[in-house]
Amino acid sequence: MTTRIIGLGNPLLTDDGVGVLTARAVQEALAAHPLPDVEVIEASVGGLRLMELMVGYRRVVLIDAWKDDSLPPGTVCRLNLSDLERRRPPQHLASAHDATLPTALAAGRRLGLDLPEDIVIFAVTVGNVIDFGETLTPAVLAAVPQAAAAVLAELRARSS
Amino acid sequence: MMQRITIDPITRLEGHGKIEIFLDEQGNVANAYFQIPELRGFEQFCVGRPAEEMPNITNRICGVCPEAHHMAATKALDMLYHVEPSPAVKKLRELFYMAFYCADHTTHFYALGGPDFVVGPDAPKAERNIFGVIHKVGVEIGRQVIAMRMRNHHVIQLMGGRRVHPVAGLPGGWSRALTDPERAEIEAIARQNVDFALFSLQLFQDVVLSNPVYKEMILSDAYMHRTYSMGMVDAQNRVNFYDGVIRVVDPNGNEWAKYHPRDYAQHIAERVEPWSYLKFPYLKQVGWKGFVDGPDSGIYCATPLSRLNVSDRMATPRAQEAFEAFYETLGSKRLPNGRYQPVHYRLATHWARLIELLFAAERMLELAMDPDILDPDVRPVVNTVPDEGIGCVEAPRGTLTHHYRTDARGILTKVNLIVGTTNNYAAMAMSIKKAAQALIRNGVVITDGLLNRIEMAFRNYDPCMSCATHALPGQMPLVVTVRDAEGRVVAHISRNEDV
Repeated sequence: MTTRIIGLGNPLLTDDGVGVLTARAVQEALAAHPLPDVEVIEASVGGLRLMELMVGYRRVVLIDAWKDDSLPPGTVCRLNLSDLERRRPPQHLASAHDATLPTALAAGRRLGLDLPEDIVIFAVTVGNVIDFGETLTPAVLAAVPQAAAAVLAELRARSS
Repeated sequence: MMQRITIDPITRLEGHGKIEIFLDEQGNVANAYFQIPELRGFEQFCVGRPAEEMPNITNRICGVCPEAHHMAATKALDMLYHVEPSPAVKKLRELFYMAFYCADHTTHFYALGGPDFVVGPDAPKAERNIFGVIHKVGVEIGRQVIAMRMRNHHVIQLMGGRRVHPVAGLPGGWSRALTDPERAEIEAIARQNVDFALFSLQLFQDVVLSNPVYKEMILSDAYMHRTYSMGMVDAQNRVNFYDGVIRVVDPNGNEWAKYHPRDYAQHIAERVEPWSYLKFPYLKQVGWKGFVDGPDSGIYCATPLSRLNVSDRMATPRAQEAFEAFYETLGSKRLPNGRYQPVHYRLATHWARLIELLFAAERMLELAMDPDILDPDVRPVVNTVPDEGIGCVEAPRGTLTHHYRTDARGILTKVNLIVGTTNNYAAMAMSIKKAAQALIRNGVVITDGLLNRIEMAFRNYDPCMSCATHALPGQMPLVVTVRDAEGRVVAHISRNEDV
């Protein structure tokens, strides 16, 4: 495998699960129309652990919930790593217990770990991430097919 | 009228938390309050579900210590279904749990707590992280830190069945037995863990204890609170993370209470304050006296430091040597009861955590070599009627208790959790106050370093806000807002430039 898609978030915390649910939608689409060397996983980790999940891959696509009140819930955004340094990052890229993702990647590279240069983040803006629940709010739920399509378009555009 | 300073940890959650520091009329710190956001509806979410889902639900409430929640939930199911795990099951679970401790304690020291000492407490924020530590101690040590994490995560995945959120816990059982090649691999990993833990203690000696400035900081009054200590001990009163009884010692080192985790409600009460969503646990039989320390105040701590303080000794030989060196170096005398006087220097928690790391590694090695560990019979058939279960483990961040009630079908009717961090909230509020007092005097706020000194005060508890409020972790930027007596902002300090 050379490409890893990582759906981040907690599917038990209402909209926080949008990254995981989008990853599942991507996985279903890939089951019907496979792409070579693409793998989809779920995780609810940030910082060092997230960096470690990227070791050995050429390309990583992260899908995460994003709390940004300047955008309506359900907005799908494509970000790269340098965007993270300029604005408040999506929900799960940092761990309060160890490091932010850019710091973790810098540390990993300094140590000579085999980390991808190609890291793209699809962030979906969320509404409710404080109530326990397994259902997305309507605007965020409606964004899942769009987010999955954006991830698939990204994969197909660059694998062709 | 009191002045107010707000330190605002903004997560991307609604209703974010705050540290609020109130000044008196002379401009000195009167009180410090720590607020965090509340996530809603966890109990309602669980009630009506089958109890056996709890190990896999609760391991989702925290991205940092899913293993601890999984284990506490699994132990609660043991009691709920009245099934005593076999020795092999207990040892498999404990082996898994030691791998978790090895990864978690390593990460805290090298990525979170350690930077204060290894890089320096006044280093710029951009350097005060794992990258700065690697720069200071060298790439080879950095590689070892990552290798330590990855090999123990491998064990967690192998034994727990999944990469991040384990699924192996069953009522009275563990879903996966070990093969001998797997056991041999884990034994080899445990040996490496022991070497790494010994190395880390030596590093602490060389970098921290040999530096008079750091040693003075550890021993300073600014980071000391004489509270009660809580932790789990085995039948010989030795530290145990997986199983045992809860022991509480008073600030002078006398045993105050020793009880089975199922009796927690007789010993722990929760204080509700109007300014916080959090409940502050305290020792019921001592009583709540406010945010003060001493033997008359029911505030206690449940941390690596307090676990050493409640124990007579460590259960493994090298950890015992480190335990003795810890108390001797910090000036504790042996009491007539055979224990050392408790250490109350909160920054010594970092050292205590490394001693626990060594214990976890040595215990992991013992278990990997135990003949019982290959017993294939680890999935008992359960045909009892469930009713009530309480499960308890030492999470890295404190004593973790899960309490469930069900109907006769095993459907949850009540759920209560006391997570590790919550135990320490009152103590953390006191630590924040003391750190602020050192830098705010007579209305003069030394803004340089205020943020980091306050963060240092709570970093040693490694608070899991997300866990205490049943959320997932995120980055926790800090904003300090200093207000004068009229509430006007007179200073604004931010850890994250974008806030």
